[in-house]
Amino acid sequence: MEMEKEELRIGVFVCHCGFNIGGVIDVPAVVEYAQTLPNVVCAEENLYMCSSAGLDLIKECIKNCNLNRVVVASCTPATHEPVFRSACEEAGLNKYLFEMVNIREHSSWVHMHHPKEATEKAKDLIRMAVAKASYFEPQIESELEIKPSALVIGGGISGMTAAMCLARQGFDVHLVEKEAEFGGMLRHLHKLQPTERDASEVLREAIPAVKANTNIHIHLSSLVKEVKGFIGNFDVTLQKNDSNELEQIKVGTIIVATGGEVFKPLGMYGYQENENVMTQLELEQLLKKGKLKKPKKVVMIQCVGAREKTGRTYCSRICCMVALNNALLLKKLYPDVEINILFRDLQTYGEYEDFYREARANFINFIRYDPDRPPKVASKSDTKLMVTVYDAYLGAEIEMDSDLVVLSTPLIQHEDGRKLSPILKVPLGADGFFFEAHPKLRPIDFTSEGIYVCGTAHGPKDVTESIAQAYAAASRAGIPMALRKIRAEAVKALVDKDICVNCDACVVSCIFNAIEAETFGLPNIIEANCKGCGVCAAECPMGAMQLVHFTDEQILAAIEALFKPKKLASSSESFDPIVLCFACQWCSYGAADLAGVSRIQYPPNVRIIRVPCSGRVDVLHVLKAFQNGADGVIITGCLIGDCHYIDGNMKAKNRVDVMKKSLGALGIDLERLEIGFASSSEGKKFATMMTNFVEKIRRLGPNPLRVKVRGD
Amino acid sequence: MYKIVTKRQLVPHINLFEFSAKEIAAKTKPGQFVILRVDERGERIPLTVADADVEKGTITVVCHEVGKTTKKLGKLEGGDYILDLLGPLGKPAEIEKFGTVICVGGGVMVAPLHFQAKAFREAGNKVIGVIGARTENQLIFENEMREVCDEFYVATDDGTKGHKGLDFLKELLKEKKIDRVIAMGPIVTLKSVSELTRLNGIPTIVTLIPIMVDAMGMCGACRVTVGGKTMFACVDGPDFDGHQVDFEELMARLKMFTPQEKLAFVFHEEE
Repeated sequence: MEMEKEELRIGVFVCHCGFNIGGVIDVPAVVEYAQTLPNVVCAEENLYMCSSAGLDLIKECIKNCNLNRVVVASCTPATHEPVFRSACEEAGLNKYLFEMVNIREHSSWVHMHHPKEATEKAKDLIRMAVAKASYFEPQIESELEIKPSALVIGGGISGMTAAMCLARQGFDVHLVEKEAEFGGMLRHLHKLQPTERDASEVLREAIPAVKANTNIHIHLSSLVKEVKGFIGNFDVTLQKNDSNELEQIKVGTIIVATGGEVFKPLGMYGYQENENVMTQLELEQLLKKGKLKKPKKVVMIQCVGAREKTGRTYCSRICCMVALNNALLLKKLYPDVEINILFRDLQTYGEYEDFYREARANFINFIRYDPDRPPKVASKSDTKLMVTVYDAYLGAEIEMDSDLVVLSTPLIQHEDGRKLSPILKVPLGADGFFFEAHPKLRPIDFTSEGIYVCGTAHGPKDVTESIAQAYAAASRAGIPMALRKIRAEAVKALVDKDICVNCDACVVSCIFNAIEAETFGLPNIIEANCKGCGVCAAECPMGAMQLVHFTDEQILAAIEALFKPKKLASSSESFDPIVLCFACQWCSYGAADLAGVSRIQYPPNVRIIRVPCSGRVDVLHVLKAFQNGADGVIITGCLIGDCHYIDGNMKAKNRVDVMKKSLGALGIDLERLEIGFASSSEGKKFATMMTNFVEKIRRLGPNPLRVKVRGD
Repeated sequence: MYKIVTKRQLVPHINLFEFSAKEIAAKTKPGQFVILRVDERGERIPLTVADADVEKGTITVVCHEVGKTTKKLGKLEGGDYILDLLGPLGKPAEIEKFGTVICVGGGVMVAPLHFQAKAFREAGNKVIGVIGARTENQLIFENEMREVCDEFYVATDDGTKGHKGLDFLKELLKEKKIDRVIAMGPIVTLKSVSELTRLNGIPTIVTLIPIMVDAMGMCGACRVTVGGKTMFACVDGPDFDGHQVDFEELMARLKMFTPQEKLAFVFHEEE
């Protein structure tokens, strides 16, 4: 772009924060220093920059000095950035032309006994911010319209509940079911626990209500063939079963309620070899139809095909209750029937414990088996069976005759769910079920905006839990649809198509599906999905992908500014290392703030650069830091598993591992590069991490490149 | 050592090289590739041959500067030498008289596509050529392709030239009786072409370019899943049935060394 560059006019405002900053840092000296920095046309101080007097000072200077960039050196942006940003906007300056320097939590509060060093650090941080701000550009947060209609995939109890909930809020709902009738798994179940209500009775109420609701558009015998677009504007292609009849619909949100299916234990315990070996579901169907021949001796085996060492390692949660429910029903029908339940661990959580008590009171026997010595089922005739089990408590084998063996098998993801995952571009977990964005923070959402999950598609659940989760999904989907619009991040990915080489590293790296490859490889950024983490920018091998407001140019400017005017101590003087720390704006920056709030002291050698995510830190940034003379570089992020962008910190770790192997080639000790993780409640850990790292670097001595760079 | 007879920059970062390699030129058929090494320390670069001149004893390849080694290659000029050149490798393309053949190419792969298109034409086929790139200034071999095609189309992702994307192919496939489709280019291109032709059941051959090391079927780096079976692109391909290829897996495998590649590239820029 050959646009005429406007003259940079930067204002620097340094806050005393009463005694908090001014008591340690020599603020007047810092202000005087700031005036000497390139493009700085005014530098001011105030007792409290966030007071109305301080804010007025900023606004006046913007107008009087024609400032086009503002840098405030005060406290943490976590609390005060919005205040200063609005002051800028009130004075007619785009808020993205503002940069904040944290000289309180990151300097005066953590280097209380080192006023000289804290002052030098404040100068360094301001110089870095001024350099970075020089490359800022105004940004607009664009708004995207949300279509107030939803697609609910799956017409079981979860899907019907979610659809009804949204329809009653006035939203248009497209309810898609692959079968010719609604009901899903409930159509096959008999009596629901804990109330023993007939499953068919539940459906007799639910299905007509769904069919009668005029806001619900019904698509029976249909499958979701293709989904394009993003939150607010999904283009969905539906296909009628076994035909080429396609239908196009447009929706704003999508709820996945595709359910699960029961694992069929082929080749286990004589299943499908002897007609009296069946799954719990098959038993329920016989009970439902009243076609069960009266058994004399029933054996139920728990955890069949579940909690395995590999593959289906999970507990299916509902099978213990299903077995108890069916055992009690059998007892009611035939009081003289003998029932033995062979279990590994009986897990009847919450009120379901009553079932267990009732079962014991009804003389149902429980025998614990050892998974390493599972029970054996042998056919004595076409109908008669012999079950042998090693009783772990008795320490002996027990043989029992049986004329009905019932296998409790887990719920599993079905084929259609597996097929849907790539169509929606949402992940399945290791257990095969749909995988939510975060188990605690976003348990109903997928990482892709506007897509939600509920019911057994997400993992084994009973009907009550499925219904609760369906309401949750409807509530989540209702938010953007009620607002009718969402605001897209201004901090977003941006590709330079002249530098791009179609490698699509960005497409693969984006966990939010915010980048799609066009037919010939051009990355297309879906603003609605972009969260502004910058992982794609760090992954792009060419530097073609950039993160707005955190571009390579801006970050490198800050790095270079840190080292450029430094007069480093000559070798005769004692070595005082300079350590650069990249901190993600969530946890690790928060931890650094907390260290400050808690006044936990650490060496004043650390200079922090704030990045959206540790995954934004590029090998280029690290390399440049070392080439410019950094004695150590430490990247900090959220704890593993707690990354606010799912796995940005893992990508950062991977990059550090790779970089460590190559640092030697540059003559840099790999110990000079480190990655650490801290939650925002771990101020102490952050301070310790910094102290240890600075000490380590002190032992290692100066960066050998530093001599070359500085020429001393 | 192999001599670069000519080097020409086609568009920024995409260069054409003509190497003097008499024996390779004599044996190379369309669809085959060579592996070259610039020097002892770089990667081995597999490149599909874009032309072979038996009389001159030269082969032509076109290479995109996408990393350290290709950038190093890009700095060489006519008269310079590269360390070695190995080939021809892989199975030649199946060239027969099929009837009407569509040759679709994207990015740098338009160059080798042109070699095949020419051969299809010579075998008596009617050749419909489609070339594309992400944007207008990235299009290469437009004239060369036009010359060997009976019908010719241009497409770009951003619509700066010709059709926007390949959606227009849907109509073309409906209107005309197409007997075979050849696709070369980025994986997304191969995937979208295969999806388009799957509906009509038109045989579609795609050229796969996975990560490759030895190119002789020993190392297994270039494994791809085709019709549920593991194949080695170097010896079983590089051409495969597009309707059978697991493109998702291929795409993920190609990104296995992204951090290492970037590191090498960034360090190289500093050298």
